[in-house]
Amino acid sequence: MSGRRIVALFRRVVQEIRRDRPSLALLFVAPILITGLLTFILREGQAPTVHAVLVNDAGPAGAAFAGALGPTLEAAGGSLRTVTDEATARAAVADGSADLAVVLPADLVSSGRPTVTVITEGLDPSGEGGQLGSLQKALLAAASAGSGRQPPAVQHVTVYGTPSSDPMANFAPAMVAFFAYFFVYLLTGVSFLRERTGGTLERLMATPVARGEVVLGYTLGFALFATLQVALLMTWVLGTVRVGALGPLPAFSIGLGIAVGGNPLMAFLVVLLLAVGAVSLGIFLSTFARTELQIIQFIPVVLVPQFLLSGVLFPVSSLPSVIQPFVSFMPLSYAVDGLRQVFVRGADLGVGALQVDLGVLVLVAAFFATVASWTIRREVA
Amino acid sequence: MAEAARLASPGAAPAIRAAGLVKTFGTIRAVDGVSFELAPGGIYGLLGPNGSGKTTLIRLLTGLARPTAGMAEILGTRMPSRSALARIGYMTQSDGIYPALTVGENSRFFAAAYGVRDEGARREALGLVDLADRESSVAGTLSGGQRRRLSLACALIHRPPVVFLDEPTVGVDPLLRVQFWTHFRRLAETGTTIVVSSHVMDEADRCDELLFVRAGRVIARGAPGVLRAEAGTSDLEQAFLRFAGEAAA
Repeated sequence: MSGRRIVALFRRVVQEIRRDRPSLALLFVAPILITGLLTFILREGQAPTVHAVLVNDAGPAGAAFAGALGPTLEAAGGSLRTVTDEATARAAVADGSADLAVVLPADLVSSGRPTVTVITEGLDPSGEGGQLGSLQKALLAAASAGSGRQPPAVQHVTVYGTPSSDPMANFAPAMVAFFAYFFVYLLTGVSFLRERTGGTLERLMATPVARGEVVLGYTLGFALFATLQVALLMTWVLGTVRVGALGPLPAFSIGLGIAVGGNPLMAFLVVLLLAVGAVSLGIFLSTFARTELQIIQFIPVVLVPQFLLSGVLFPVSSLPSVIQPFVSFMPLSYAVDGLRQVFVRGADLGVGALQVDLGVLVLVAAFFATVASWTIRREVA
Repeated sequence: MAEAARLASPGAAPAIRAAGLVKTFGTIRAVDGVSFELAPGGIYGLLGPNGSGKTTLIRLLTGLARPTAGMAEILGTRMPSRSALARIGYMTQSDGIYPALTVGENSRFFAAAYGVRDEGARREALGLVDLADRESSVAGTLSGGQRRRLSLACALIHRPPVVFLDEPTVGVDPLLRVQFWTHFRRLAETGTTIVVSSHVMDEADRCDELLFVRAGRVIARGAPGVLRAEAGTSDLEQAFLRFAGEAAA
């Protein structure tokens, strides 16, 4: 291994990508546009109907509140029925006979601002986020109808997993992981295919450069762009800059402002490990492609199954049991889980689940780096 | 002729040696039992039609392909050998340069790949191909001839004692072709061993020795004048056809 040669390879990759404006746009603009659009759709979409069960621990005051809440939900196409206790309510949510449960506390009227507990299933954060929004509107309306009482605060709990009031809080980690994986794979695959078909790899192999140096140089080069992409994407996803009203222009904010429970640097590490694996995957798969179109053709085979089965869109636990064993073989699933551990649960390196995710990502990156190195053929003894 | 005398001098260790080289791809024998020794400091022409096995032979000699049988040695080192590659220059048939990089960046990259730290060597290589004043030009915007020149500079940047040039003058205009050959001759005079593959017979006369290649075999070898005389013709193309006919018979 020669540090100078690796640095030369790294510098060359950077120089090439720096001048490739469409690739830069792919890396830095496309993820921002797509996450922005998704957030808009999820947050501003149609309010869903809510079929709720209610546990009244607040006596007559609670009955009055329920009397106001029921018609509000029904007006929006939903329903409200009262059950005896929280266990029954949880069972109803778990078996799907209710979307959510509302538990009115005994101190509904005695405390300053009452807190009602809302129980959702926890398996479809985005869908439940929408239902929660509809319920909150109904609670507000019910509170106003009940002689102008202060609207209750909502404590969200789930039957499974950890709750979040923002559908994007669960979705954003998955999107950050997917974009890093997707774009880094695509750029590396196409770039290395050009090396193979353009005669430069043949020429490079006629120099004393070792195969491992090529993989390492490429990994460093693309890791730099992956780092920049992830930094930009994380700033966009986590940050919020509020811009005040300016003349006829109303106040607005830039950035998605999604709350992160853990250390953003930990999330950064997860995505970076995933991206390093994607570089080697791109090099490896370029062996089987003859044209750039063929690199694209690997997307439905390699990336789309990961997109569907790694918890990006659908919770892994809700997948058919036949498919679930395959999830363990998808590198993206470990990054998505790792990021959710950091974003939602605030996990750090002491959390076992995150350690497993990071460990697997390191192993996957090392495995594909070795395999990629083998695919760079030079018959050197 | 001084070169001819030197090339023929007995006892000189060969710069390049092939012994029973065979390379098969499935049922095709791309290189079919090639043996030769090339003395240092000369221009050797691998001449033959497209598909005759010239490029595969060069890939075997440079260690980029592993022979099915036989062996190759460069400067006494059995190929493939990564360390020996530092003493070999290879100009591929395609340009093999990075079009998005400038002339300077391409040359610096290959200099680093060969472990060359001497900035003077890099500038000298660009100067030899008349690209010293184009350092900041992006390679993709150069003309075809300029790209070939850059490709040649990248192959010579580490001042290798053995150079393989695979069809170096394809797509090169006549004036530049003359410049290329003048430069090859200058290198050979300083002791560099140059193997040039070509299917253009009118370039063959510039070589010290020719190896006629057909169907993966060396069917004749000798100085251009000698081969012409043996074939009883004044035309090298006719000589090639004569030897090819004899080999097929």
